[in-house]
Amino acid sequence: MKRACVLLLAVLCGCGRSGDQGARDARPVIGVSLLNLSNEFVVTLREAMASHAKELNVRLIVNDAQRSPERQVQQVETFIAQRVNAIVLNPCEVEASSPAVQKALAAGIPIVNVNSETKAVPSAFVGSRDEESARLGMAYIADRLKGRGGVLIMEGYMGQAAQIKRGEGAREVLAKNPGLRLLAAQTAEWDRAKAVTLMENWLQAYGSSIQAVFAQNDEMAMGALLALERAGRKKDVVVVGVDAIADALQAVRDGRLDATVFQDGLGQGRGAIDAALRLIRKEPVEKATFIPFRLVTQENVASFIR
Amino acid sequence: MPCRSDKHSARVPKLELFAGRLGIVVALLALAAVLAALKPNFLSAANLTNVVRQVSINGILAVGVTAVLLTGGVDLSLGALVALTGVVAAHLAHPGAYPLLVPIAAGILAGAACGAVNGAVVTRCGVPSFIATLGMMTAARGLALVLSDGRPVSNMSPALTRLAGDVAGIPVPALILAAVAAAVAWMLRNLRLGRYLYAVGGNEQAARAAGIRVQGVKFAAYLLCGALAGLAGVVLAARITTGQPNAGVAYELDAIAAVVIGGTRLSGGVGGVGGTLLGVLLMGVIGNGLDLLNVPSYYQQIVKGVIIIGAVWFDRCHQASGKERGV
Repeated sequence: MKRACVLLLAVLCGCGRSGDQGARDARPVIGVSLLNLSNEFVVTLREAMASHAKELNVRLIVNDAQRSPERQVQQVETFIAQRVNAIVLNPCEVEASSPAVQKALAAGIPIVNVNSETKAVPSAFVGSRDEESARLGMAYIADRLKGRGGVLIMEGYMGQAAQIKRGEGAREVLAKNPGLRLLAAQTAEWDRAKAVTLMENWLQAYGSSIQAVFAQNDEMAMGALLALERAGRKKDVVVVGVDAIADALQAVRDGRLDATVFQDGLGQGRGAIDAALRLIRKEPVEKATFIPFRLVTQENVASFIR
Repeated sequence: MPCRSDKHSARVPKLELFAGRLGIVVALLALAAVLAALKPNFLSAANLTNVVRQVSINGILAVGVTAVLLTGGVDLSLGALVALTGVVAAHLAHPGAYPLLVPIAAGILAGAACGAVNGAVVTRCGVPSFIATLGMMTAARGLALVLSDGRPVSNMSPALTRLAGDVAGIPVPALILAAVAAAVAWMLRNLRLGRYLYAVGGNEQAARAAGIRVQGVKFAAYLLCGALAGLAGVVLAARITTGQPNAGVAYELDAIAAVVIGGTRLSGGVGGVGGTLLGVLLMGVIGNGLDLLNVPSYYQQIVKGVIIIGAVWFDRCHQASGKERGV
C-alpha cells in the first residue's frame, strides 16, 4: 500500500515536471532507492534523509526496492526518465545493483551510495566500515579480559558482506592480542533462536574456558545472553553485539548485555543528502565519507535510547 | 549398490519396537557412538538434556505435519505460522497484562485459524496444498510483520518464559512435545479420524467409495497442523523471550525432513509419529554433534545433508516392502 502510494506519487510528480518544466517547484529533486523498508536500520536512514531534506528545502522521491536489485535498477531508470537532479542509492547488492550506478552516471545524474557499496564507483559514498564495528566490539572484549581468555565468535549468514567484514575486523583484534584464544567461530545466521541453541552447545563443548562471546549482530548476542543466563554462567562471560537494536540497548541499560556497537543511521542519511546536494551545486565532495561507529556500554547507553 | 528391500521382509515383526525404523535407529546409535568417542561430554546428562530441549520445537511441528503428509498433502506455512503466533502470544504476554493462559491460547488459536484457512482452501477451493500453504506462508509472514511493526516484540512476562525452562531437571518444551506426540499417536491408532488419515492418503478414491468424508478428514489434518504450529510458536517465543516476525524461516523444511526421515511417505498413507520422533532426534543429534566438534559452518551443511540422505537410504534398504505402516 505504502509502496503503491510512493509509486503513484512518483508518477504524478513525473508527469507534473514534464508538463511545465519546474515552473511551480524550483526545489532540487533527489530520488532515493532503499534496500528494504522492513529493516529497522533502513527506516532510520529514510527518516534521517526526509527530515534533513526538509531542512535544506530539497524534494525527495523515496522508493523501496524490497531487497530486489532488479527492482532497484528499475527504480533508478525511472528516476533518470523523470530527470531528477541527483540519486541516493542504498544498494541491495554489490554486483547486481551496479548497473543502477552506471546508468545514472551515463545519464549525467550524480549518484551517492549510502550505507553499503556497489562494484561500480558512484559519484560519492557515505557509510561506515563494517570491519570497524567488529574491531570496536572485540577491542572492548580484549580490554575487559585484559588481553587473556577464551573467546567465541557468532557469525552472521555465511557469505554476506557484513558477515565477512565483521569477521575480518574481529580477527584483526584477535591477531593483535595473542592472549585471546579463539575457541570457535560458528554461524547462527543472524537469528536469535539459532544463537540460543549454538550457545547451549558451546557451553557443553567449552564449559569454563569461555570468557567472552562476540556476536556479529545484536539478535545473536541476545540469544547467547539468554542461554548463558539460563545456565547461570552470564556472570563469568562478557557478551558483545553489534547494531544497537532496541532490545540490546535495553539489555545494556539493565546491566545484562555488556556492550553493543551503534551504527549511525542518522549521520549516514544526513551525510548522503549533503553529498547529493553538493554534487547538484557542482561543489567539491569527498569521494568517500565514513561515519564512525560508536561503542555503547552502560555508561553511555542513556544517550542512545530513544 | 541397488537397494533390495524384499530380502529383509522376514525381519519386520521384530522391528515394531523401533516403530519399524531399524535403519534410523541404527544410524542414530552409530552417530551417538561416534560422537561419544570423539567428545565424551556428548553423553553427559546436561548435553542430552540440551538435545532434547533443542529438538522440541521442530518435534512439535513435525508431529503436526505428519498428519498432513499422511493425507498426501504438505504444509509449507509452518515457519511463518511460528513467527505469527509467537508475535501474537508476545503481544499478550507483557508483565501483568493477562493471565498466562491467554497468550498461550491466543497463539494456538491463531495457528489453528491459519490451519483452518489452509484446510478450507485445499478442500473447498481445490487449490493444491503446495500452493495453498505457500500462499499462507507469505501472508502469515506479512501479517507477523504488520502486527509487530517489523520489530521484535519484547518485554515478556517471566510466567511465559518459564515455558522454556526446566521442571525437575526436564525441559518443559520436551514435556510438551512428549504430550503432543503421545496424544497424536493415540489418535492415529485409536480414533476413527486417525485411521481415515491413512485411508485418504493411501487411496483417496477407495476412501471415498468406502464412505469416508475425505474433505473433512483433510481439513482436520491442516487444522491440527496449524494448531500445533501455534503451540510451537508460543514455545519458541518463550525460549527467545520475544515474538520475532523474522523467526522460523525454513522451519517447515526441517519438520518435513524429520517426518520423511522417520519413514512417512511424501505421497501419503504410510508413516506415523514414532518414526517422526526418531527423525527429529536424528536431526537434533546431528546439529548438536557438529557444534560440539566445532565443524566449520560451511562443512556443517554438507555433513548434515550427507547424513540425512545416508540415513534414509540405509533405512529404506532395511524396510519391508509389505508391512510398512508403523504408528
